[in-house]
Amino acid sequence: MMQEPKESKEESIAEITLEGAFRELDKVVERLESREITLEESFKVYQSGMELLRTCNEKIDRVEKKMLQMDEDGELSGF
Amino acid sequence: MSNIYSVKQVNAYIKNMFTQDFLLRNLCVSGEVSNCKYHTSGHIYFSLKDESGAIACVMFAGQRKGLAFSMKDGDKVVVEGSVDVYQRDGRYQLYARKITLEGAGLLYERFLALKAELEEMGMFDAGYKQPIPRFIRTLGVVTAPTGAAVQDIRNIAYRRNPYVQVILYPALVQGDGAKESIVKGIQALEALGVDVMIVGRGGGSIEDLWAFNEEEVARAVFNCSVPVISAVGHETDTTIIDYVADLRAPTPSAAAELAVYDYRALQESLLGYEQILRDKMGNRLELMWERIKRYQMRLRYLSPQSQIREKRQYLVDTQERLRLGMRRQTEQARNSLDLYIERLKGLSPLDKLKQGFSYGMDKDGRTLVSIAQVKRGDMVTLQVSDGAVHAQVAEVDLVDWGQISG
Repeated sequence: MMQEPKESKEESIAEITLEGAFRELDKVVERLESREITLEESFKVYQSGMELLRTCNEKIDRVEKKMLQMDEDGELSGF
Repeated sequence: MSNIYSVKQVNAYIKNMFTQDFLLRNLCVSGEVSNCKYHTSGHIYFSLKDESGAIACVMFAGQRKGLAFSMKDGDKVVVEGSVDVYQRDGRYQLYARKITLEGAGLLYERFLALKAELEEMGMFDAGYKQPIPRFIRTLGVVTAPTGAAVQDIRNIAYRRNPYVQVILYPALVQGDGAKESIVKGIQALEALGVDVMIVGRGGGSIEDLWAFNEEEVARAVFNCSVPVISAVGHETDTTIIDYVADLRAPTPSAAAELAVYDYRALQESLLGYEQILRDKMGNRLELMWERIKRYQMRLRYLSPQSQIREKRQYLVDTQERLRLGMRRQTEQARNSLDLYIERLKGLSPLDKLKQGFSYGMDKDGRTLVSIAQVKRGDMVTLQVSDGAVHAQVAEVDLVDWGQISG
């Protein structure tokens, strides 16, 4: 039986948005490089890029973790 | 009486028979190992026996790669090689090229059969493979709580990204109950909701790794909604779950590398993007500034103030030129005047008088230039440098100056 690819929204927002953010950032850079873009638009694009970077940074969990071990009852404890 | 042969001839004859025999050149013999001796030269001498008898065997040092385990007396093995005659002793023996444990052969067949079956069912299809997410928060590990595998995974995961939560399900990875334990671990971590799971163990013999070749374990990996990275043994070991898993890692260490993203690389990547964005925006703004400045310059140049200033400047310049021209003219005039003065000085009669010339006048004050103007007894005046001499003409002579000087 085929499983749904694991793209469930609630579970992995961080991962999805980080990967999506990188794709989005590539687009932003490309747009900024384009000659046709107006100055006003370039400000908007730049701001959206900076906003993306800020969100990315916020998404990253910077709390150090210790390895945990699961017991028979599914309880977690330090390994 | 029949012919008499030498020992050498007989042995050579028998050897020739053995050599020409197709079967004896390449055959597999199963039996139990006895009298196993590892010689210092690297050769291994042993016998293979069954209930009926024994055959002498040798494995030369050059063939040792055909033996992957430490063989000892009592092992049930399959020896692949050729049977040949050792002429010095007049003995035949089995020259081994490859020795495998008999059980291993059976296991390998089971492995192939299960592999074919699951493949037939489509469980290895690329279409079922889930992508391994790049940026994870939690990593599940199903392996033994003791041993190198769990330590390798822990160290590498921590080194690459200490902010990823690693959760171990301590599983039994070999022996009785191993497959049930591994299946339970996969299901428990799936229920907990980890982002990625590593299922595996360190290296070992084919028997040690066998749990990972069990159908129940393969199905648990296949049915797991969390992406699974298999990591069993060393690079050369391949187990059934390697085919079923979403990604196969050659070792547990490699699995950790694949599962846990490098935090510093991500950080650098974000900083890189920031730099690029700033640079691009900066360049664009600078370009705009350049254009604005150019227009500013042109506009300033064209403004009425600029025009007036321009004209005023022209006026000032012209005035100055005029003044200079005038001065030059005056100076020139003064110079030529000086020149005339000098020249006039040279022509002054006074100077001539000083040199001893004198200026003569008749009685009527006319300049005396010809003898025709005077006759004897007339009064004349001679002007000299410091006064006048009044004289009376005594004689008049006609002189042709041209002739004299000529």
